[in-house]
Amino acid sequence: MNTFAQVGNFALNGWREICYLSGITAQVLFVGVKPRYWTRPVRAEFYRQILSIGIDSIGFVFYVASAVGIVVVAQALVWLQVVGQSKSLGALFVTVLIREAVPILTNFLIIGRSGTALTSELGNMRISGEVRVLDAQGLDPFIYLVMPRVLSLTVSVFCLAVLFVAVSFSSGYLCSLLLSPAIADPGTFIYSIFSSLNPVDIINFLAKSIIPALFTGAICCAEGLRVEASITEVPPATKRALSRSVRALFGISALVTLLTYV
Amino acid sequence: MSISTTDPGLAGKSSTHSPAVLDFRGVSTEPSAFFDTPLWDVSFRLSQGQLLLVRMERGRFRLPLADLAAGILEPADGAVEFMGRNWQEMAADYASAQRAKMGRVFGSQGWINFLGVGQNITLAQRHHTTRTDTDIEAEATELARIFGLPGLPHRPVSGARLEDLNRSAFVRAFLGQPALIILERPTRDLMPAILPPLVNAVRIARDRGCAILWTTSEDLVWRDPGIDATFKCTMFGARMNVVAEEK
Repeated sequence: MNTFAQVGNFALNGWREICYLSGITAQVLFVGVKPRYWTRPVRAEFYRQILSIGIDSIGFVFYVASAVGIVVVAQALVWLQVVGQSKSLGALFVTVLIREAVPILTNFLIIGRSGTALTSELGNMRISGEVRVLDAQGLDPFIYLVMPRVLSLTVSVFCLAVLFVAVSFSSGYLCSLLLSPAIADPGTFIYSIFSSLNPVDIINFLAKSIIPALFTGAICCAEGLRVEASITEVPPATKRALSRSVRALFGISALVTLLTYV
Repeated sequence: MSISTTDPGLAGKSSTHSPAVLDFRGVSTEPSAFFDTPLWDVSFRLSQGQLLLVRMERGRFRLPLADLAAGILEPADGAVEFMGRNWQEMAADYASAQRAKMGRVFGSQGWINFLGVGQNITLAQRHHTTRTDTDIEAEATELARIFGLPGLPHRPVSGARLEDLNRSAFVRAFLGQPALIILERPTRDLMPAILPPLVNAVRIARDRGCAILWTTSEDLVWRDPGIDATFKCTMFGARMNVVAEEK
């Protein structure tokens, strides 16, 4: 096959994969809004995933958000005071953290922590025949395994992103008080943040938190369920899920930024 | 009498008055790594209350029969009908709902590891019906006692004894009064103590109209007069040969 054909093949395969994942995501949303699919076992599985992906990640996100707050917010507060631009504080935080860093970082943390675990869990279920057992009992694997996982990952990422914002600002502000006692009082600090926020920033934050998380869930579930016969297929599936999820994350984030701010 | 491409075999032998619960029509499958042997031109018709006992060849225990009957494996040739409808012509949601009318003892790997044994047993009933959890667990507990368990097990699957898991498989299969029960070598590791309660439970199920598909590799089961199979077949390679049928 010549170079042009290879490039064409690569582009076509990539496009097919995007369509396939979009289909899974759309189907999850289509099915997820219908109450008849939320049977007791499906709800139980959703709650179990919320616990595993969301609740269990709170401590980890809290730690990272505190560190990010200290690094970004503290430095910005101190140096903006030096150059006399402390009124730009809110705009800087909104631009750096709320618009870009927090959604990406939160998604990144969850991809590494929970996305890969999802893929390996589903891959192992395929190998051990558990998916077949579910199917034989009339529990559609898409309804029972994929939908709760995709939706719980999305809900978890969004909630953890909000937590990230709150913790990073709080930790950064507290740290900056230690570094520079002349820092603005908390009320002024909070006011400067909210006054810099506009509806586009909220839409951007929501889109960058939710859409990549939906695709991450779809990618991780799809890679896990593609495992066929051998346990040795699980690690490569996990690696593919990780790399594709990260690519999707940055691709979608760039696209959302272009659509909302350009 | 043997079943072949020219012989309708069991296809026309069942009662013509009661509707077929399970109907295999000239079913053949491709060889697969998941099964020890494919099927070739298998035809039979199981009506309500009938029992098909299939004896497997030594060392060839993984048959595609159960997966075909449940509609999760597509035949290479022929058709499988459940309650009068071809699995391949059913919509996905409808097919899932139809599988709720089946109970099954799996030949291997029949448990979901992230659920407890009790949750595994009641999973299908909780998904497909609006029965209360209390009602489902009460029926499951009664079945558990019939099959020699002190009650409904609640241990994790990984922490349960193999014998308890095998007995729990019967509870799951008979729960909810299914229209078809598929028993894949159900008595392995439990003979001979399990046979009387199992035969009794099968008789009660048949009396209320349930059809039974039972595969076995054990002589004791094959020769047991209490089972009273409507049809008895042996596997010979990919073919299913009738050796006896109820007159």
